[in-house]
Amino acid sequence: MTSKVKRKLTEFLFLLPSLIAFLMVIIVPFILGIYYSFTDWQGTGAVSQSVGFANYAAIFKDAGFLHSFLVTLLFTVLNIITVNVVAFIISLLVTSEIRGRNVYRAGFFIPNLIGGIVLGLVWQFIFTNIVPSIGSSLGLPTLSKSLISNKDTVMFTMVTVNTWQYAGYIMLIYVAAIQGISKSVMEAAEVDGARYWTRVTRIQIPLMANAFTISLFLTLTNSFKMYDVNVALTNGGPVAMFMNKPVQASELLALNIYNTAFKYNNMAQGQAKAVIFFIVLTIFSIIQVSWNKSKEVEA
Amino acid sequence: MAKQAAAPIERMAGYKPHKGRTIALEIVTLILFILFMMPFLIVVFNSMRSNTDIINNPVALPNSLSQFWTNLTDIWNNPTFNFLSALRDSVIITILSLAIISIFSSMAAWVLVRNKTKWSNFIFFCYVAAMVIPFQVVMFPLLTWFKSVGDFLGIPLLRSYQGIIFAYLGFGEAMSIFIFHGFIKGVPLELEEAADIDGCSRAGTFFRIVLPLLQPVFVTVLVLNGLWIWNDYLLPLLVLGANGDIRTIPLAVQGFNGAYVKQWHLIMTSTLLAMLPIVILYLFAQKYIVQGMVDGSIK
Amino acid sequence: MKKLISLVLAVAMMLTAASALADIVICQNKVEIGSIMEEYAKGYTERTGVPVKVITGGGSQDYNTVLKAEMASGREPDIFVIEGVSGYELWKDRIADQSDAEWTKTCTAPYVADGKIVGFPVAQEGYGLAYNKDILDKAGIDPATLTNYDAYAAAFEKLDSMKAELGLDMVVSMVAGTTNNMTWVTGLHNFNVYLSVGLERGDDTIINKLLQGEVDAERFHQYCQYVALLFKYSDPEMLLNGNQETQMVAFTSGKAAFYHQGNWMDPTIAQAGGIGFTAAYAPHAFLKEDTDGILTDAASWYVVNSKGNVDEAIAYLNALCGTDEGKEYMVDKAGMIPAFTNVEAKATDATPLTKSVVEWVNAGKTYSWQQYKMPDGFGMGTLGAIYELLASGAIDVDAFEAMMIEAIQGVKK
Repeated sequence: MTSKVKRKLTEFLFLLPSLIAFLMVIIVPFILGIYYSFTDWQGTGAVSQSVGFANYAAIFKDAGFLHSFLVTLLFTVLNIITVNVVAFIISLLVTSEIRGRNVYRAGFFIPNLIGGIVLGLVWQFIFTNIVPSIGSSLGLPTLSKSLISNKDTVMFTMVTVNTWQYAGYIMLIYVAAIQGISKSVMEAAEVDGARYWTRVTRIQIPLMANAFTISLFLTLTNSFKMYDVNVALTNGGPVAMFMNKPVQASELLALNIYNTAFKYNNMAQGQAKAVIFFIVLTIFSIIQVSWNKSKEVEA
Repeated sequence: MAKQAAAPIERMAGYKPHKGRTIALEIVTLILFILFMMPFLIVVFNSMRSNTDIINNPVALPNSLSQFWTNLTDIWNNPTFNFLSALRDSVIITILSLAIISIFSSMAAWVLVRNKTKWSNFIFFCYVAAMVIPFQVVMFPLLTWFKSVGDFLGIPLLRSYQGIIFAYLGFGEAMSIFIFHGFIKGVPLELEEAADIDGCSRAGTFFRIVLPLLQPVFVTVLVLNGLWIWNDYLLPLLVLGANGDIRTIPLAVQGFNGAYVKQWHLIMTSTLLAMLPIVILYLFAQKYIVQGMVDGSIK
Repeated sequence: MKKLISLVLAVAMMLTAASALADIVICQNKVEIGSIMEEYAKGYTERTGVPVKVITGGGSQDYNTVLKAEMASGREPDIFVIEGVSGYELWKDRIADQSDAEWTKTCTAPYVADGKIVGFPVAQEGYGLAYNKDILDKAGIDPATLTNYDAYAAAFEKLDSMKAELGLDMVVSMVAGTTNNMTWVTGLHNFNVYLSVGLERGDDTIINKLLQGEVDAERFHQYCQYVALLFKYSDPEMLLNGNQETQMVAFTSGKAAFYHQGNWMDPTIAQAGGIGFTAAYAPHAFLKEDTDGILTDAASWYVVNSKGNVDEAIAYLNALCGTDEGKEYMVDKAGMIPAFTNVEAKATDATPLTKSVVEWVNAGKTYSWQQYKMPDGFGMGTLGAIYELLASGAIDVDAFEAMMIEAIQGVKK
């Protein structure tokens, strides 16, 4: 064997395990998935027949799905705001001159270590037992009932839990960005007599633009794909009215897809919903990439 | 990042901090921090109480440590929760998945960087594009596909360690290859050429020369994938089943929660046990975990 | 290179070495007896050497979801539960013929389909509206008179006006919320009141109408009034946010006079310390005219997976009704009412709800269960959501009736 062939062979073998896994786990199921979304596939292995766009047509008449879509968008927008505002405030606090900032920094990140199922359960306990108990002893009628089983407040509980979990992570990104700002710039501003808020708004925030973009898209995809907190915290409930139909008030898209397939025993339609989900995420990513590109050009 | 940890102190030294403001900031941070830690306290306290106790008054302090011991033995001996076996399975799955993801991804990324051909560009592009594919769109077909492949090969892919680890390789490698790719691009070629001239084989060059250089980026890949795999719920739910022989910790928690009439004291104890391993690990490896999370987000 | 290959081989070998299988896997849906069944299975393994694994879905995890995931896995359960025709239709290519099994000789309510005996009845179960006799006595209400809508309306109103005196938080302890996955109480069990009360056992006129997308308008109108009545005297917070535990505690602690659950709650009630008063069932008498009977049936059946370990599975089922340990498990431990001539139901005060069901059965005053003939997800999902809307006050009873009718019309596609 010549050394060149040997070299090529080695390189091929290096690539092989990744490629096999990629094909088997992503590519083939992906193609199958798109195919199934055009059939009456039942998931139990029965032979499926093509139904054209019937699954897709049904989706757009499905009030539950449309509602899930809107709720997911709402959840995403609220989440982006609260997570980033909270994270930014914390990052300012833990990079200020306070004592114990390193301990705080480590501590705020801890919720991010815990999985969605576990903390969904913990917060379900908090919202169904602790909060009502405190609320009724304080004589606050809204707080003395479970915020989860009220369709108007359930979104608040989801955002609270997600912010609590995710803000610590985003905080780390902001902290890194703040520390990346050269100290001479800040000192110069201090010497020039710039007040604290002026320094934050005029110097730190503009210099952290990149960190904001990163955090924005991280929060965006994280919120949009949310599943396990949703299952463990609210299970999609309670019920609300939408387009004159009963729908699940807090059922995000990922849960709606799962329930369509398993609970309502409609695998093909669940698959079609998943394809729509994929298309939306792709659009988000394209926006992100072009946004980054345009910024690179500016810089 | 690690080096910068000490930076704010020096930087702040130039500011001559205002004492009053510092104390105010410290108080605000402390209050926020206590709020953030409250759910953990609630878990700990309610793990030390009986169910009737909790139902009668959710916001009381525990009154006896012996109840904690009772809850702990109850949950420890519970065949549905079976914490030790869940811990073992989570550890096996996470460690083996991390090992093969990081090895195979670094190998593939290196080959892709060092071969500037149309093919390698195309493959890399596929990996990057695949990062957009949400799990939901492949999850249902993955099940039937894994089942038929498993039947065909005679190696079960569902309900088995090999199956879920293989799936994690597939789902984790795209991002890992992307991260390795970015890093390897910056590794100078001279070292490898020197090794080539010394008669080192291609594989030898990678394992002896390149791999040691990748150390910092390994941390990123391990942390990002590790937190995800450890806490993942949906993939194990589908591949391993809700209550199969192999169960990760999130499956055990949710399975326990679903298998009985709701008993909050035991659920709280189970979540406490579920949180402990990762929090303990974090206390020891905090620096690496924080660095990995930050680097991973910025890349 | 060699090193790499040996590494890969080593990993591969390590992985294939690690999967052992249990001999019988059972997937069942009763969370109330989850731990009791696990205990019995453990004893069975000790006696026979056959390892048994019990998988429980239900409660806050939807059973059908769990079963589907189990089936999609490489290791299908050998014994699983079907809850009637939709389960049978879904899995019939996997359901083994058990016509020759020992247990069929003494069984009074097997699941029979296509001329074959395929299902071992898990238990006969029953529900009505459980009442706290001590409280009704104090209020001067004779439960025997609760046989029509007006009697209930009067009784509820009287109890409601005496709440403080009787120490009640609510008149009826009932749950309807999606968050805790309790919509089976409304969408399946309560809805069966409409499907079955007042009809001969086995009369499937109403359910057949429903499957055609039709309702019996007058009957349905009266049913909706009854639902509204139950909700009116329930605690709204309990309806929306209660789970099996809190719902039970409200009744067992004497804070509620009525309790909308079946006798399957007996083991859980016993575990939580039992009941300190006399409890029994009153009929779900929703019509203006008298109906006197509770709803009982074999609601679910163990079927054997023809692709699994069939012989071991049938042996396990034979042992359930044919051995002393099996009988003890069904009757004493799980507090069930077996549907077998050779296993006698025990109606003791330790299991008050079961005792009441046995009395109704012996009196011949029962109506059948028709709810599991509805399509998958229809009762718990589609109807359950509408019940919750009524419970939360988002719609009134007229809107409730209209939406329910609309949903039923959607059954026939």
